[in-house]
Amino acid sequence: MADTDAPHSPAPTGRGFGRFLVAVYGILALGATSRSAVQLATDFNKAPLAYLLSAFAAVVYIVATISLARGDVTSRRVATVAISIELVGVLIVGAASELFHSDFQQATVWTGFGSGYVFVPLVLPFVGLWWLRHTR
Amino acid sequence: MTGTYATVITVVALLFAGWALICAATNRRPTLLLFAAAVLLEALLLGFAVGGVVQMAESARHFARAEFVGYLLGCLVIPPLAFYWARGERSRSGTLVIALAFLITPVMVLRVQQVWAGSVG
Repeated sequence: MADTDAPHSPAPTGRGFGRFLVAVYGILALGATSRSAVQLATDFNKAPLAYLLSAFAAVVYIVATISLARGDVTSRRVATVAISIELVGVLIVGAASELFHSDFQQATVWTGFGSGYVFVPLVLPFVGLWWLRHTR
Repeated sequence: MTGTYATVITVVALLFAGWALICAATNRRPTLLLFAAAVLLEALLLGFAVGGVVQMAESARHFARAEFVGYLLGCLVIPPLAFYWARGERSRSGTLVIALAFLITPVMVLRVQQVWAGSVG
């Protein structure tokens, strides 16, 4: 058991609750990647902006998953950046999809603040950032 | 596609999920039996994937075939990944990881059926 709070040895982000968190990120990474692959392969011209955002979201989730799973010093920084982008992304795309319905119909994981994924994409970045602080 | 078989997988996965969630709620680490359940589900999903591809080959209908195969493969990937990722965690989080895999499987099976029916993609 290495989870004593020694000041200069950060607890790995992929252990304990982190195991579960990484699994949730992994599922979103899988979902976002497969969705985006299909979109880019089939009808990219239909909604280029939304489809590029979709691919971008997929990359963000993949990076967040891997960096949280690794949990070393560099990975923690990468995870913090990725999850911050994720937070901004879900808020902006969520708001944009409410304002400009036609361009964002179910096009990204972040559409409607992640409503297609039972709002997990909206809650997840908050949990992720909390976890990074908590394990510091 | 293969309606009854898909229903069986869904029911089994949901039962396993309920069981795993109870184990997690009572603070249990993943047991050997739970890992065995994941293996059993994977075996069922293998049958599903093979059956799906065979049915697809026999059908002349137009539907999103690449997506169909993609989702079938997606189903297959989940239990082994959960198995691997939960194995190193001797706490209830490991149990939750397995539970998550069981919960996601019915969703994936549903997506496979939707693509087959042509309502997606």
